[in-house]
Amino acid sequence: MQASRARLFKEYKEVQREKVADPDIQLVCDDTNIFKWTALIKGPSETPYEGGVFQLAFAVPEPYPLQPPQVRFLTKIFHPNVHFKTGEICLDILKNAWSPAWTLQSVCRAIIALMAHPEPDSPLNCDSGNLLRSGDVRGFNSMARMYTRLAAMPKKG
Amino acid sequence: MQNQNQDEAEVAASISAIKGEEWGNCSSLEDALDQPSFQEDESAKVPYVGDKEPLSSLAAEYQSGSPILLEKIKILDSQYIAIRRTRGDGNCFFRSFMFSYLEHILESQDRAEVDRIKVNVEKCRKTLQNLGYTDFTFEDFFALFLEQLDDILQGTEESISYDELVNRSRDQSVSDYIVMFFRFVTAGDIRTRADFFEPFITGLSNTTVDQFCKSSVEPMGEESDHIHITALSDALGVAIRVVYLDRSSCDSGGVTVNHHDFVPVGTTNEKDEASAPFITLLYRPGHYDILYPKPSSKVSDNVGK
Repeated sequence: MQASRARLFKEYKEVQREKVADPDIQLVCDDTNIFKWTALIKGPSETPYEGGVFQLAFAVPEPYPLQPPQVRFLTKIFHPNVHFKTGEICLDILKNAWSPAWTLQSVCRAIIALMAHPEPDSPLNCDSGNLLRSGDVRGFNSMARMYTRLAAMPKKG
Repeated sequence: MQNQNQDEAEVAASISAIKGEEWGNCSSLEDALDQPSFQEDESAKVPYVGDKEPLSSLAAEYQSGSPILLEKIKILDSQYIAIRRTRGDGNCFFRSFMFSYLEHILESQDRAEVDRIKVNVEKCRKTLQNLGYTDFTFEDFFALFLEQLDDILQGTEESISYDELVNRSRDQSVSDYIVMFFRFVTAGDIRTRADFFEPFITGLSNTTVDQFCKSSVEPMGEESDHIHITALSDALGVAIRVVYLDRSSCDSGGVTVNHHDFVPVGTTNEKDEASAPFITLLYRPGHYDILYPKPSSKVSDNVGK
């Protein structure tokens, strides 16, 4: 318990220092609970997520950093490796490839990389995966862009 | 290759059968090889680090097993006095190394060795920094290992007993942190000497050095083999003897137990050749335990030829 708290506090300080260095990620700790974090990440450019801002929820387990944080999208996103309803993310470092060398900040970076490079062969969102696997990049892009507009962009007016 | 697989299957089946007696009916090959569920369910019943057991407990596992294995266990019985089992959770090599090393320091009170390894630990810290690891991601693990070294040396208020060492080795908050410390050290060494390790890694897993460290060294629960052992032994400057218990045998009919000594680079052989490494591990395909040599036996004369 103490170990995870101490580690998260270090990450908190690091995040304050790094704010300028990584403008695509805004990681915020819950005011009252250091085990709950949220992040706002910018959709990577030259992807259908460009221009969108996506919110992630982090639940950090007590054995952290021996065990990975649980992360899910709060913002709806059309992506092969993200569950369309729950926002659950299929990413190896959040499961068996986790190691304490990762941080909440670098997890955000890995998720941005996943947005730019979907892995349609292990889909959580089958519709999305099938579009890519069948080579319908145009269809995938237009669906993903539509949901980015609907869910991840500030409403005009 | 096929023999090797059969061999591993047989040993795995026999380990599985003995570890979970109530699972006796399920020790078919498929079950024994079904690693994830086997590991999670079975390993939870075994402490991270077990008690010292006589070698007869090893023989008991193979009662109806291969004659070659029984023959080899007989040979082991003449050279080793005890075995200490570790949990088969993928961390067994690091866990065995941890306990064996700390126990050696506790018994020998070898302050010179502690001073020596601390210098290496500092080098490992620099290595990780130079590789671009963020300090706070590894410093807690380093600190906990150094703390154990200090606590094990007697004469301070924090000095711990043998029982306390066993307790800590079974306490996840200490034991897993030290395993993780070794994983960082191992990854650091592999990445720094990427040119040296690359051919071995390509041969083993057909991935890049970076991918190998990320997927097979740094995550907890990933099993070790000669690459990890070489890296850890070199980085910390600690020699490790691995004794192999498998079904291999010579054509001439004579059964011998093979061992391999991992001797850190830069160690002068003249002085060390006489004495065996103080860490001896027993390797059975897929698992490492700790072995205790008989005080007087000159193991190196009898095996490995």
